[in-house]
Amino acid sequence: MPTQLQFDEKKRKAIAQCSRCSFCRAVCPIFDLTKRPVANASGKMILLKELMEGKLPLTESVAQAFLRCTTCMNCTTNCPSGVDPQEMVKSMRKDMVGAGFNNLFKAMGETIEKYGNIYGETERHDWGRKKEKAPYTLFLGCVGTYREEESVQETLRLLDILKVDYTMVDEVCCSGVLEDVGYSIKEDLARRNIIEIQKTGAKTLITTCPYCYRVFKEHPSYKDLGLEVKHITQFLKDFDFKVKTDKKVTYHDPCDLGRHAGIYDEPREIIRKIAPNFVEPRRTRENAMCCGAGGGFRGAFAKESVRVARNRLSQIIEDTGADILLTECPSCLHNFKNAKRQKQKIEIYNLTEFLAKLYQDKTSREKEAA
Amino acid sequence: MIKKLIEIVGQDNFTDQLEELVPYSYDASMNVYRPDAAVWPESTEQVLAIVKFANEHKIPVIPRGAGTSLSGGVVPIHGGVIIDLSRMNRILEVSIENRYARVEAGVVCDDLNRELAKHGFVFPPDPASSTVSTIGGNVATNAGGIKGAKYGTTRDYVLGLQVVLPTGELMRTGSYTMKCVSGYDLAKLFIGAEGTLGVITEVTLKINPLPRHAMTAVATYARLEDAGKAIFQTMTSGVIPSVMEILDQVTLKSIRDNTDIDLPDAEAMILTETDGFTWEEVEAQMEVVLSILKKNHPIEIKTAKDEKDRLNLWKARKSAYATLARVSSSFTLDDVTVPISRIPELLVGIQEISKKYGIVVATFGHAGDGNLHPQILYDEYDADQVERMHKVEKEIFHLAISLNGTLSGEHGIGISKANYMTLEHDPVEMDLMRRIKKTLDPNNIMNPGKRALDS
Repeated sequence: MPTQLQFDEKKRKAIAQCSRCSFCRAVCPIFDLTKRPVANASGKMILLKELMEGKLPLTESVAQAFLRCTTCMNCTTNCPSGVDPQEMVKSMRKDMVGAGFNNLFKAMGETIEKYGNIYGETERHDWGRKKEKAPYTLFLGCVGTYREEESVQETLRLLDILKVDYTMVDEVCCSGVLEDVGYSIKEDLARRNIIEIQKTGAKTLITTCPYCYRVFKEHPSYKDLGLEVKHITQFLKDFDFKVKTDKKVTYHDPCDLGRHAGIYDEPREIIRKIAPNFVEPRRTRENAMCCGAGGGFRGAFAKESVRVARNRLSQIIEDTGADILLTECPSCLHNFKNAKRQKQKIEIYNLTEFLAKLYQDKTSREKEAA
Repeated sequence: MIKKLIEIVGQDNFTDQLEELVPYSYDASMNVYRPDAAVWPESTEQVLAIVKFANEHKIPVIPRGAGTSLSGGVVPIHGGVIIDLSRMNRILEVSIENRYARVEAGVVCDDLNRELAKHGFVFPPDPASSTVSTIGGNVATNAGGIKGAKYGTTRDYVLGLQVVLPTGELMRTGSYTMKCVSGYDLAKLFIGAEGTLGVITEVTLKINPLPRHAMTAVATYARLEDAGKAIFQTMTSGVIPSVMEILDQVTLKSIRDNTDIDLPDAEAMILTETDGFTWEEVEAQMEVVLSILKKNHPIEIKTAKDEKDRLNLWKARKSAYATLARVSSSFTLDDVTVPISRIPELLVGIQEISKKYGIVVATFGHAGDGNLHPQILYDEYDADQVERMHKVEKEIFHLAISLNGTLSGEHGIGISKANYMTLEHDPVEMDLMRRIKKTLDPNNIMNPGKRALDS
């Protein structure tokens, strides 16, 4: 039998702190889609208030309601009362699992444990980039490896063009996402990653996935990693790129890279070097709307997740009229590509993928000229 | 009931799930009552069918926008069905040549203004909640905001309404014209009625050209009395500033102690703006305002022309609510309004009440139209503090009325202030209000239990 929830002082304070002004309605991607107050941060804070006061029994469907959050953190950034609702959601997901309400991510945890990735894939693409030793190690993460292979291929090609001496490893899921969906990181997988990465003798770990970046950087399980951790946009920002595009380019801030990691300027510095015709979406940087993929939301509610991406994509197109949408997150990329309608002419790439394409175009043009 | 409602709006637009009804049991006040169901109609026809059905079966219905009300106005005191209009959010028509916009009730205030800005126009009333508040909600509460003194409140912009009456009839009232004296002004009856007379489904709003320039100034005063003089001298100078805000000592101290905003130790701060279509116009107005601010012994005065400096000057005012919300877990935010010259008396009186009961009250608000926001800070889980908070609130209401003021400038009465209605309105007026309610809503289904109308 599930037990009741416990609310410590910190949670009690946060619950009381929510003034129910509902300003979070303006920034919640799931509320934007559904107009259901329970989808919104203030709705969830109200549920917690009643759970805390013993007015609302904790049932399966109440526990389920807390899965409807992408943990995009836009509510936190815009909360006038200083509440961090997405942190509460993540914490409550754990407490609810602790109280006996397992959710569908239990199965994902088992899959990760068994297969080393979130999808239960048994074969890993061989990128042919594995060396004994190199100064840089590149870590791709599950979504890039198994769902955005073409994009990854281009990113790797870019690093080759830029003559970066890097290696890849037999990586397994960083498993940090489990922390956000009610469970805990898999220590043995973390150890495996640490050992594999350290074997390369690299001084710097470069991640393409912003979420993996955060896990390597912040999670205690990776504190013994002993490498400098950089997101690929941080790593590339000082490079000189010998390519340019005249096309109108815009950029989507991934929540994990922007609000969660504070990396806003590096991708823009790169884009400004290659795309003079760069326009920001109306909602950008700290206020960028979420693509709908994060916090387990795509895993739990795939259809709604794509509809959130469709909203964001349509808004970006309407705001900017851009030809090219760039981002640097395999999850955002994947969700946007799934969301894009045929009649929408915008092209969507990871920034590194787009750079590689520009180099390819340049090479083709030079060949033609010759 | 469930079957019929689903038949009207469809499965996806209906809920009776407990976890969905819990958020609908609240607004931003302390009132809590559970509805029995909630629906998200997508058309006026659906609203009409819902209300017809509710009236036949005497089921309470409560129209709701963003639920940001601070009075319990949308909290279902007798249960019933929440009619959430958020999915009716289409901008139906923007007619620049005729100076109006026609929108569904669920359109968000800022979304409308973003659309109007493309044409260089604006719907001026700007409640603090404009990023989320719906036009229907703005009309139902006669929402005001910071620019009330110069640009008025929602009431001044409503040309026409489409309303579903409690008896299940659809009515269009008002006009598409700038002037209209044809028949009783029924639209006005529904403005600020807090959803007690019908469900507003469509609104036709007068729109204004967007002022092109604005200039901002901030002045701090060691003595509240001087700030008070500066305000009413400005308001009678011939210039009407677009913004005339005041922050009291408690608010300023709270901001100084809890943020890195640099503020002098002052009894009051005034934030003011002039706006217009040319710089000359804006500056000429500001010159008059500044001369008045100066002669009333300010500690300091700062002015700003460009956007960056403007935002800097706005910082203290904009952070007032947030800072106070962080200082105390619970608060009641009121909106008493007095004739402009009585503001100093109101501010001093509020502090006396605050001291008497040992409850912190920080006050800020729209001095230019006499509308102040005493924010009463307390702990909702401390019964003694709750009791004292209620006493403080009661005395503030009595004080405002004694100064020829009103209980509510822009939030509405709802549940929170219902007990004080007779303080402001005499028995004849109360009786007429109740007769109007009874005539329009004989079964008392439309947002019942609010503003002491059904007793």
